[in-house]
Amino acid sequence: MNEILEQVIQRRDTWRGYRDQFSSNTASANSAAHATDGLPTGYDNLDAALFQHGWPQGNTIELLSDIGTPAAMGLFLPAMEALSEQGRWQAFIAPPYTPYAPLLAARGIDTRQILLIHPRSREDLLWSTEQALRSTTCSTVFSWLGASEYRYSELRKLQLAATGSDALAILFRPTQAAKNHAPATLRLQMLAHRKIHILKQRGGHQGIEVVLPPVEEIPEQSQLWALPARTESGQQQSPAMGA
Amino acid sequence: MSLWLCLRFSQLPLQCLNHSEEQAVVVLSKQRVLRANDCAASLGITEGMGTATVRALAEHEAIILLERDIQAEQRCLQQLCCWAYTITPALYTFREDCLQLEIGGCLKLFNGLDALLGKVASGTGSRGYRTHYGLAATPKAAWLLSFADANTAIDIQQELKVRLAPLPLALLDSFSSTVDSLRKAGLHRFSDILPLPTAALGRRCGKDFTHYLQQLLGEREDLQPDYRPPEAFNDEYWFGYEVKANTELLPAMQLLLQSLCQFLRSTQLQTAEIQWQLIGIDSTLRPVIVRSSNPHSHWESWYQLTCIRIDQLQLAGSVEGIALQCHTLRTGELESMDLFNPHNQREPLNSLLDRLRSRMGLQAVEQVSCRDEHLPEFALHISSDSQAEKDTTDTPCAQRPFWLMPQPQSLRQHGDKLYWHGKLKLVYGPERIEDNWWREAISRDYYIAADNYGQHYWVFCDRLARCWYIHGVFA
Repeated sequence: MNEILEQVIQRRDTWRGYRDQFSSNTASANSAAHATDGLPTGYDNLDAALFQHGWPQGNTIELLSDIGTPAAMGLFLPAMEALSEQGRWQAFIAPPYTPYAPLLAARGIDTRQILLIHPRSREDLLWSTEQALRSTTCSTVFSWLGASEYRYSELRKLQLAATGSDALAILFRPTQAAKNHAPATLRLQMLAHRKIHILKQRGGHQGIEVVLPPVEEIPEQSQLWALPARTESGQQQSPAMGA
Repeated sequence: MSLWLCLRFSQLPLQCLNHSEEQAVVVLSKQRVLRANDCAASLGITEGMGTATVRALAEHEAIILLERDIQAEQRCLQQLCCWAYTITPALYTFREDCLQLEIGGCLKLFNGLDALLGKVASGTGSRGYRTHYGLAATPKAAWLLSFADANTAIDIQQELKVRLAPLPLALLDSFSSTVDSLRKAGLHRFSDILPLPTAALGRRCGKDFTHYLQQLLGEREDLQPDYRPPEAFNDEYWFGYEVKANTELLPAMQLLLQSLCQFLRSTQLQTAEIQWQLIGIDSTLRPVIVRSSNPHSHWESWYQLTCIRIDQLQLAGSVEGIALQCHTLRTGELESMDLFNPHNQREPLNSLLDRLRSRMGLQAVEQVSCRDEHLPEFALHISSDSQAEKDTTDTPCAQRPFWLMPQPQSLRQHGDKLYWHGKLKLVYGPERIEDNWWREAISRDYYIAADNYGQHYWVFCDRLARCWYIHGVFA
């Protein structure tokens, strides 16, 4: 076979049409052998909808949501909790607010691993995201890319950096980015609270909606990704405004 | 058997001041030519000429006349010592322009004499010094042999007396009157005096001279204090031309960092801060400080950090040379990475931190931790330093958001409705938090509010000011 073609096929991120015709030892991006099990998301029906039965590591994941609402971090809290054991950094690049350390500690996440990175420019933002992905010292990289437009090549650079590592790489982008192509293996859109739309999934089903039921939350850890575990206790009351 | 390698930097007075090969350069001492570079030599300028003769010879050519700078020579020799210390610990400076290295003890380490000499040659060559070698069993003989032809100088198989034989006695400039009287007696070379009986020679030339000869032949001990490495590191690199682009600096920086790390390794020290000086063409100095959170001695990671700094640097003018300084050295600490780390982590954790900080500044990277405080904004601690202990908040805290806003932001209020990017509905609460009564009393009722999309917020009502604020966002 052509040598260059061979090299292309050897790459992990190459798609192939007829997967049955090739031996599985050189697994392509869409073959089952490539898909080692992902990192469990902590939500059964989301795991079921995902091709690797969990978050794909070593790939970028895009989460699109509107700017007014800081994207649902609760989606990743169980993963952060699991990755905390690795003792590597969990990088927050250009976060909208500050993660509340007492909550993280209560969730069993070692707060010493949390790195808040505040880039001053778009270039610094891309650079630090790429550095964090390349360095192999991060178990998770959350990057808020913000509202600005990104070229495909810039996102592709991040995707390539992610393939070299085994980090959970999440890029947060606004909803209007859904119109454009992106090299991420998994693109999710937040439709509403706990309601996810899978825009793109390499090797798996796309265009499906997943609703995360609140029942899956552990009762004694009521701070899960939102709230009231004890709504039935009748504490709800409408306080008199301005009282 | 001890084996001494003498490195004689014959052009040191010249090369410590100017490395130019394209222009005629002459170093003067007491108005006489001390050293002249090849370019000047081709004009017919030789050592010992007067200034007027030099000017006459270089009639139409541009020529640089420099005054001898003994301090600069010594500084260069110290830097060379620093470098040579990576080869052998037993060395000292000899005369004004020589290094004496005892290499008999480290031949095995370098896989034989040839490999060692190759390393020495590349080391001196990269620093741009013309070097003459001499190899012998005694330091004085090694120095004398550095004047012999290149083959005899390093041919240690031959007998020492045979190798010394053709050398002129005039080399012994510390015994000039003795050598003068010997010359009058028709004795010009070592071959003339070495066969003579020592006692007879001693009567004629004095005890000092025979002592010297005995030390030369290894019949009398010749002890010198060894060189001690300095407390701080200093090294320079001169380009010999003007450098205008940042990237052109990098190869030289790599070289200097390698020599720094060799120094650190050989002295078993580490550093957490290095300082570059970019020496401009007009002798201006521009310092660039590179820091690392952990002291270490790996040149690769210093090089990476330096590259990040140099990338962002705007060169004001052209650069002629760079200096690397390192003042705070600490004793080395061993660091280890888990060999069986399952997560293919290939570098220490702090290296990412250092890279980010060297590009964006110390404040650009922060870490969070908990504090045992009642008020939410005080319970969260943000700092640029890493914390030492793990937070162990065992007490399951009440409903707390994932995100905390740096400052509570006031909510718009319309009638009995609250607005924050849309209408808010209170769904849970209140939780009263009161604190700080000794300074400025704070009393808040915290609620959880939801908007139309189901997003939850942490809002509070300031009971004293009777205003509503948003303080956090649930994930």
